[in-house]
Amino acid sequence: MNPMFISATNLRFVLDELQSRYSVLVPVRDGDGLFYEVLSSTRVVIGEVRAVEPLKSFFFRAKQIVAENYSDSIPGSRNKPLCIVAAKACDLKGFRVLDAVFMGDDYVDPFYADARKRNLIISADCTTALDVCFCLAVDVKPFPDANFDINLSEVQDGYVVQVGSEKGSGVVEEYADYFQEAGAGQLKQRDEQRSRVREQVRANIRNNGVPAQERLAGAIVRNFDNLLWQEEAETCVECGACNTICPTCHCFLLSDQLSDRDLTRYRLWDSCLIKDFAQVAGGANPRQRLWMRLRNRFDKKFAFFPEAYNIYACTGCGRCIAACPGKIDIRKVLKRNVENVHE
Amino acid sequence: MYTSSNPYRPIRTEVLATLEETPSIRTLRLKPEEQISFETGQFVELTVPGAGEAPFTPSSEPSVKDVLEVSVMRVGKVTERIHALRAGDTVGLRGPFGSGYPVDEFVGKELLVVGGGCGFAPLRSLMYELFRRSREFKKLLFRGGCKTPKDFLYREQIQKWRERDDLDIELTVDEADGDWQGKIGVVTTILDDLDMEPQTGVAVVCGPPVMMRFATMKLVELGFKKNTIYLSMEKNMSCGIGKCGHCRIGVYYTCSDGPVFRYDRIGECANLWD
Repeated sequence: MNPMFISATNLRFVLDELQSRYSVLVPVRDGDGLFYEVLSSTRVVIGEVRAVEPLKSFFFRAKQIVAENYSDSIPGSRNKPLCIVAAKACDLKGFRVLDAVFMGDDYVDPFYADARKRNLIISADCTTALDVCFCLAVDVKPFPDANFDINLSEVQDGYVVQVGSEKGSGVVEEYADYFQEAGAGQLKQRDEQRSRVREQVRANIRNNGVPAQERLAGAIVRNFDNLLWQEEAETCVECGACNTICPTCHCFLLSDQLSDRDLTRYRLWDSCLIKDFAQVAGGANPRQRLWMRLRNRFDKKFAFFPEAYNIYACTGCGRCIAACPGKIDIRKVLKRNVENVHE
Repeated sequence: MYTSSNPYRPIRTEVLATLEETPSIRTLRLKPEEQISFETGQFVELTVPGAGEAPFTPSSEPSVKDVLEVSVMRVGKVTERIHALRAGDTVGLRGPFGSGYPVDEFVGKELLVVGGGCGFAPLRSLMYELFRRSREFKKLLFRGGCKTPKDFLYREQIQKWRERDDLDIELTVDEADGDWQGKIGVVTTILDDLDMEPQTGVAVVCGPPVMMRFATMKLVELGFKKNTIYLSMEKNMSCGIGKCGHCRIGVYYTCSDGPVFRYDRIGECANLWD
C-alpha cells in the first residue's frame, strides 16, 4: 500500500472508533514526560519521543495472576485487546526482544502471547530526541521501519501513514474515507524530519562516545575480570530501577499468595541487581557481590542475548540513564568495555 | 516437557506417603492428577499451597508413570513446609522440565557415577534406569560420599546395591561412627584406582557445590575428557521454562538447557560452583 495521509482530526475519529474493539492507549504529557493513558478527551501526543514507562508494562505486567487453584485456564485472557498508539521505534525493538523470550522458545508464555497476538500497534516517528537517546548505536532508527501495524509520521496538519501488516491494512481499508494518498510534499516533510532527528541522535552518540553494537561483540566477556565493574558499581544502590524501566528486562518472580486453602500465583517483575536474585535455598549465590550483579546486567544484554536470541537486548531508549539514582550511565559503561578490549 | 497450556499452573497432587531418610531429608511419594512422565535427571517444581514452589529432581524410577518421589533437604522456607507435609495432603507439581541424563549416549561405555549427600536423590533415579539397562553398558561404577553414616539417603537400598554383580560400588564418609564399614574421607579420595579407562569412559557427578567442584577437578586430573563428564547443576530454577532469568549460567538457562550439562559446555562460566 502506498503511503497515505490522515489529518489530525480524522486520526482522532479513527482512534475513537477503535475504542469499541480495543482498549486504546495513548501517550499524554504529564510534567517533563509522556505517560500512557486510556484514550479520553486529553490531547494525544503522537510525535516527540518515547514515553517514560516502557510498553512492556501492558503485555508483561508488573503484577499478574498466572495461576489459580490448579486450573489450566488462562486468567485474564478475555480482556479487551490493546491498541498502543504512538509507540516509538525503540519500544518496537523492545517487543522483538520480549517476543523472542516469551513466544520464541519451546514454551510460550500464554499471557504475553495472548496480549501480543490480539494487539494493534500504531507506531510513530520520533520528532525529536532526548539527551539520553542513542538508538542508532543499537541498530534502531528513530522511526519505525517494521514490526508495526500502522506507522504515523507527523507532518503539517496530520500524519503520513504507512501500513505494516494485514491487520493495519484492514483498519485503513475499514476507515478508507478518512485517509487519502500522501502528497509528495508530505513525504518530503517526513523524510526531512527523519534526517533531522537521525542527526540529533548521531550527535548524542558522538558526544558520548557510544560504541556501535557490532564493536560490543565479545567485549563483555573479554572484560569480565576488568576493574571497571567494581568502579561502575560504586554508586549502585541496588534499587532495580534500571530493570523495571527497561523495555527488554524480562526477569520475574513467581510468588504464591499466602493462604492455606487457595492457590493464587502471581508473576512479579524481578530485578537481577537485588542480592538474592540468583541465590538458592541452600545459600549458594553465583553473584554475591553487587558489582557482579551489575556486570550480569550487561552480560545478559550484550553477550547472552546475541548468542541465545541473535539480538542485542538494548533499545537505546536511555531510560536506565534517566532512572538511575547512582548516575550509572550505560553509554559510558559500554564505551569503557570497548576501550578496555586490548588491556 | 510440561504440556499444560498454562506452564505456570501446577497439577493437583496427592501426598501418598512421607518417609524420614536422614535428620534433614524426607522423601515424599506423590501422585499427580495428571501423569508426569519424566526422564531421569529432569526436574519438577513442587508447590506447597501458600508457601511457594521449589525445584526437585525426582529420585524414583522414570519407568513408573503414575507416582513419583522426591527427596527434599530442609534448607529454607518452602522445604520447611514440605517437611511438615503428611500423607493425604494436597500439593502442586509442574513439569517435567529441562534435559535429563542422556543415557543412550552411555551405551557401550564404562560409566562412573559420583554422588554426594543430597545428590543421591537424582542419582537414585538414574541408577534405577542404569540397572534396568545394565547389559547395555560395558561397566558400571558408583562412588558415593556423605558427611556421616546417618546422612546417607536410601541406606538399605544402597546396601542391596552392594550385592549386585553388575555394579562396582564404594562408599565413604567424612566422619565415621562405630558401625561404619566403608571408607573414611571425602569422595575424591575414593576416585583413585578406578577399574576403568577414564579416557574412554563417562562420568556423572551430582552433589553439593563444593563436592561437585572437587570431584570434577579430580576426574579431569584422572584423564576423563571434559565432554564426557555430566554435571547436575543446581541454580535458582523458578519458572522452569527459560523465561524468569534466575538460573542463567553463561549462555544457558539451567532450567531449560540443563539441569544436566556436559562439563565442556559450562566449564568456563563465571562462578559456576557458587
